[in-house]
Amino acid sequence: MSGESLLVRKIDWGTVLDHIPAWRANQVLKLLNLESLNRSSDISVIVLYNVPSKKLGRKDIVKLYHHMVSEEEAKILALVFPQMTINYIRDWKVEKHSPGLPEKIIGKIRCPETTCITNYEREPATPRYIVEREHGVVVCEYCDTLLEISRIPDFLKG
Amino acid sequence: MLSRGGDSGNKNILGSFPQQFENTLAGRDIISCRDFSREDVELVFGVAEEIESGVAGVEDALRGKKVALIFAEPSTRTFQSFYVAAKSLGADVISIHDPSISSMAKGETLYDTVKMIEGYGVDCIVLRHPARGSAKFVAESTSIPVINAGSGSQEHPTQALLDTFTIKKKLGRVDNFSMGMLGDLRFSRTIPSLCYLLSKHDGVRIFFMAPELLQVRREVELHLSQRGVVFRKVVKSEEIREIMPELDVLYVTRIQKERFPDLTEYEKVKGSYIVDMKLLSYGKKELGVMHPLPRVDELSPEVDSLPNAWYFEQARNGLPIRKALLYLILGGVA
Repeated sequence: MSGESLLVRKIDWGTVLDHIPAWRANQVLKLLNLESLNRSSDISVIVLYNVPSKKLGRKDIVKLYHHMVSEEEAKILALVFPQMTINYIRDWKVEKHSPGLPEKIIGKIRCPETTCITNYEREPATPRYIVEREHGVVVCEYCDTLLEISRIPDFLKG
Repeated sequence: MLSRGGDSGNKNILGSFPQQFENTLAGRDIISCRDFSREDVELVFGVAEEIESGVAGVEDALRGKKVALIFAEPSTRTFQSFYVAAKSLGADVISIHDPSISSMAKGETLYDTVKMIEGYGVDCIVLRHPARGSAKFVAESTSIPVINAGSGSQEHPTQALLDTFTIKKKLGRVDNFSMGMLGDLRFSRTIPSLCYLLSKHDGVRIFFMAPELLQVRREVELHLSQRGVVFRKVVKSEEIREIMPELDVLYVTRIQKERFPDLTEYEKVKGSYIVDMKLLSYGKKELGVMHPLPRVDELSPEVDSLPNAWYFEQARNGLPIRKALLYLILGGVA
């Protein structure tokens, strides 16, 4: 019996994000922007920090009860946290999901370049990034600024 | 065959211009030099040469067209040359040159300004704005062609066209030559555009001569690497003299004191980035010196009288290039 199952029971419907690097679960939550969901919905979020893991030593887990992570979000998560596993749960059945990588990321990341038009608060310019995985970066489509994939969590739009 | 715009039909106004050229720039946005093909560049140069030589009778080519100049940042050469270019092609010009006396000063967004100008039946917008990405954003916000006249520190494509046009005229080629870029390469908008344009040509070697703090941005390096352009970063100021004999062209940009967090660092390096007779004495006799202007201290006036000083001719070339661009974008094809 693994460590987390001692702490939290299994869910029958939803998404389990496993093998998140230890203490990075908050960045996952920020990326999913769950606060924007309807507050009256029946979604529950269970977060486990720094639990033992054979693969990573220590890891975080996020269980989203009654919430399926979208394909677009899954692709971004797979890009930013390549070790993460995404499991969709339907009627207790676990379905491992292996999303592809995104070609573009729209609206999720703010540009690290302060003079980028997308950082002009009142201009209706939504940040768009092209993913250049072979170079380990995403590129702002408006201002050309490069952002390392590993730094994406620091620039997530809240 | 190229023809005049407006309501004059199919009249070929560029008499000797090679007729097999199709106007690939008609109705296009000019946002980044990466968007140009080499054929586009040669088309602009061909038309600019025709206009300059007086062969092409383009005085009324844009009669009935309206060009909007929206300049939310200071400009002398770019604004004036676009203004003169549009007027001399017969176009009407609407301009916002001083944002402090427009509604931008009241907090009107760039988006609203553009939508308003578009509503006046304008045929083309020429935009300068301090935000990187502003030209692309405006191009997405309107259906009319947009010309980037400077998007913050990002790009200045029409400057790169006139720079490259100058190199072609003075050197006789834009392929197979070595160029030094000296000064503030990080915050200069002309440097990325020039690099992108030169990357369309063969055998160009670039030496980026600047302290680490002001070195060329990573996206430019990445682009050059992807295009197989040979370049080298020269970070130590004492190496500049050693590089000088290798260069055919030296492109100078201003180093701004305020970019240095530590002024003692600035004091240490500033002398190494001043182009004067002494520095030129280390270079080839026919080395061309270019500068997008305005200059402050980085380019000594003693260089002005030398045949090496290309920069005033470079500035003059802005007019035929911008006329050619406006003509091609708004002129249409028969």
